[in-house]
Amino acid sequence: MSKYFATSQEIKQLAEELCKSHEIYGPQVDQQSGQVFFDVLSDLDALDLDAAIPSMPVKEILFPQMERILQYRYDDATQNVTMEKAYAEKPKVLFGLRPCDLAGIQCLDRFFLGQEYVDDVYLAHRRQSILITNTCTRPWDQCFCVCTHTGPAADEGYDLDLTKIADGYLVQVGSEKGQAIADQRGWTPAEARQLKEKDAVVDRSVEAFPALAKDNKAWISRAMNRITTGFVKHEIWEYIGNQCVECGACSFVCPTCSCFNIEDAKMCDGECERLRTRDSCSFEGYTRMAGDHNPRQPVEDRRNKRFFCKLSFSQSKKYLRPGCVGCGRCQWVCPGDIGLPNVVQYLRRETTA
Amino acid sequence: MNYKACVCNLCGTGCGQFLKTNGKAVLGVSPSIGHPVSKGKLCIRGWHVNELLNTNDRITTPMIRSNGKLRPASYDEAIDWVIERMRDFSGPSGEIGVLASARSSNEDNFALTRLARDIFKTDVLGVGAEAGHHNSMAALTHAFGYPGAIGTLTAIDKADYILVVGTDITRQNPVIGGNIHAAQMRGARVVTICSARTQIAKLSTKHYQQKPGTKGLLLNALAKALYAVRTMNHDRQANLDAIPGYADYIAALRSISSVALENASGIRYEEIEEEARYLNMAKSVVIVFSTGISGLDKQTTEIIANLALLTDKMDHEHSALIPVAGISNLQGTYDMGMTGKPGKSVFRSLADARSPLKALFVVDHDDGIIRNRDRIENLDFVVYCGAFKNPFMDLADVILPLTSFNQTDGTYTASDRRVQLTRQNTENLSNSLPGWNLYQLMAEKAGQYWGYCDAAHVFTDIAKRVPSYADLTHDRLGRGYGLHWDPKGFPTAGKKKFHAVRIEYPKPKTSEEFPFALMVGKAQHFWHQNNLMRKTLIPRREYDQTLLLYPQGYVEICPDDAKKLKVKDKWTVQVTCSAGTTMKIAVKVCPDMQPGTAYIPYFIKNMISDFLIKYDDAFSAGEESVIPVRIEEA
Repeated sequence: MSKYFATSQEIKQLAEELCKSHEIYGPQVDQQSGQVFFDVLSDLDALDLDAAIPSMPVKEILFPQMERILQYRYDDATQNVTMEKAYAEKPKVLFGLRPCDLAGIQCLDRFFLGQEYVDDVYLAHRRQSILITNTCTRPWDQCFCVCTHTGPAADEGYDLDLTKIADGYLVQVGSEKGQAIADQRGWTPAEARQLKEKDAVVDRSVEAFPALAKDNKAWISRAMNRITTGFVKHEIWEYIGNQCVECGACSFVCPTCSCFNIEDAKMCDGECERLRTRDSCSFEGYTRMAGDHNPRQPVEDRRNKRFFCKLSFSQSKKYLRPGCVGCGRCQWVCPGDIGLPNVVQYLRRETTA
Repeated sequence: MNYKACVCNLCGTGCGQFLKTNGKAVLGVSPSIGHPVSKGKLCIRGWHVNELLNTNDRITTPMIRSNGKLRPASYDEAIDWVIERMRDFSGPSGEIGVLASARSSNEDNFALTRLARDIFKTDVLGVGAEAGHHNSMAALTHAFGYPGAIGTLTAIDKADYILVVGTDITRQNPVIGGNIHAAQMRGARVVTICSARTQIAKLSTKHYQQKPGTKGLLLNALAKALYAVRTMNHDRQANLDAIPGYADYIAALRSISSVALENASGIRYEEIEEEARYLNMAKSVVIVFSTGISGLDKQTTEIIANLALLTDKMDHEHSALIPVAGISNLQGTYDMGMTGKPGKSVFRSLADARSPLKALFVVDHDDGIIRNRDRIENLDFVVYCGAFKNPFMDLADVILPLTSFNQTDGTYTASDRRVQLTRQNTENLSNSLPGWNLYQLMAEKAGQYWGYCDAAHVFTDIAKRVPSYADLTHDRLGRGYGLHWDPKGFPTAGKKKFHAVRIEYPKPKTSEEFPFALMVGKAQHFWHQNNLMRKTLIPRREYDQTLLLYPQGYVEICPDDAKKLKVKDKWTVQVTCSAGTTMKIAVKVCPDMQPGTAYIPYFIKNMISDFLIKYDDAFSAGEESVIPVRIEEA
């Protein structure tokens, strides 16, 4: 695929151009708290490609926390039901995705689109999305994408990929959609030295991990081996389960978690709406079956379900990669001490302390 | 950007939160990573507040009951009617009761106290949780000179020694529980005193599982041992001697007999002695206990305050003594004077058949179960103001809609005195009024002009009249993550005094006839008996799935007791209490219980309305209340 060089000004122009035909989303910093969100850009000046990884995963745009997917009304007299879908397809551009979030989207794609059943709602959000990734020139405290092979640079799945180099950006095209966009810009083809410069940026970023990404390390392959071979003692799961306050946060911030719940809610005027909300395997009601049977009632059984889903070989075979993308958000939001990197430590060292 | 900062309105932790809103509706939630207390964490309630705020079960228009049926009305007409009717009852004889909400903002509660005092001229006030909180505040005022937490919740992150008294904190205030767990992981000694093996007990360095009702005795024994360790080390604290009540307190402690202690509580004094050595070595100590609806009795809170004084470490910057509230603005409600005077509460008036109560003014009642329902049905006039639909609407003569917490500016005071500002981030589509404005309009109808133009203006009035809030303004609170109110607002702050304690060895109230000690408490998803959680999707499912398993509710007993009773999980049993009332309820076999004890979460309607009605103190004594019962196969 082609590679170009674009100045910062040209990247900004790209955003301005795409903005005319697309809803544009990108990283921006909340002024007061300094917290980064990947959200709709009402003002292109707010786009901050140097911002840290967003505090909430980008799946919020394709698979929101709560979404109205259907509205219907039942007419008593005529016994007629009228219904309409409550979501719309809007072309979107996700501008400045971090590679871990891109990997998350790839997992969601395989879950919602890649199997026998294709999810219409997700498809509507995803179909016309342009994904523009942004190589991480440095890791942040909680990053461990080098352990999950999802960063610091993206290697597939993007339409366009940006890497900040000395005097501008190296733009790599990853799809036909991306090529079509590139063709309309007057970017100069990248020179060999600029490609080398990107390699150097990535190398520097990887080398910076020990010094900067201090919070988490996760030897994923070892933990996968233990989980897949059933080598984990029950006491370790219990130790992990005891720390779970059943808040669901890990699933809500995980870029790859795809579980959801559907509920119909009555509105005041007789109309009904169907809501889809994210769900989490940490909840007891999540696995309850008819007839009061719950295969995963104790909290430790629910917890190990989550880590099986993220780390076992059979799951990874389905998603063509482990279910963890190394963003470290679960470690941020967990009131216990059982974000995925910590769990990997517990499993690997067979330790309960 | 669609993410707007706000403060979680559910429990008294005061977690930071962002609501994702398009201006018209709340679409999602994000935690606030930089918040000094919650640090990016939220519990199941906080994570699903978008579902609550999206509910269709909102009160959107004022309503007046005529001929037994509610009909829509304008604010103007409804307010007129309220003022006209209330005129008949207003006056100091206490015919009007005001039942406020501990989730309302300080501005709302401040204006409501004004309405009650100046217009209704009544001092029969209260919020659902006031009894327990009055105890905590009285105990702290006596011991430390002001009614509020000593130190702050952030002390947990740095303290050497953390003592959790009673509370099932990972259920009631999960984020504080998480912080305590993190402290344990970094090496702090975390000690839990609780008769059940709660999650925090499992995560503690040491758990003392005492017999029910002996928490206070155990804490006194710890104080005695601490004193003994110091005497042995010739480590005399001259400044403690100077605190009034010290000599009497020590004399009382000395009288504790280790044999009687062990008999009563089941804990050996040697264990306590060892604990005291750790406590003595720690440079900073944090003590948390729950206040409000599941709070402790008066005596136990006094014992906790005494122990905190005796450690002589409370002035350390990483020490704290925190009454943890289950509702977001319980502390602020107390500060604004809305909890009323001790001994003169609206609940007492409702329960007392001879009280002159004739009218009731209720704000945002979160409990799905209404206590004293019969009495309320027979009142002459009931007004309900609220954001969400509630069973109270069936009892109300006038209903007035209020904004929800994200639709108006307001400040909320967390358990550790942190006053935080939530700004309006969602449009108020149904044009509901915020509380302070509604009460202002009522006052105006009654002929009093207050002249508040917005919530910030109300707050300047609060700053003028509540000394501890004197240096706070919306502008200052709006920067950063709020500010703690200043204890120096109380002239007595820093004047320490020991409580007089009596050493009692509670005899088990159980007998051969009633062998189980029944405790009453709450569980996570049953928060507030659910009027709010019932309007969410996921937390409601969690609640319902318990109800589906145990449709009549459940009583938890340990596996050994279940075996003795020859019952299994989900079997129905008959529970008979010593006062003679009975109920049928399912068994939940739970290994975390100790033999001879039973636990019923108090979201169960039968229990509150019938079974417990004779045990008034079961509500006021909270966690320490023990009811002897007999459990039989039904």
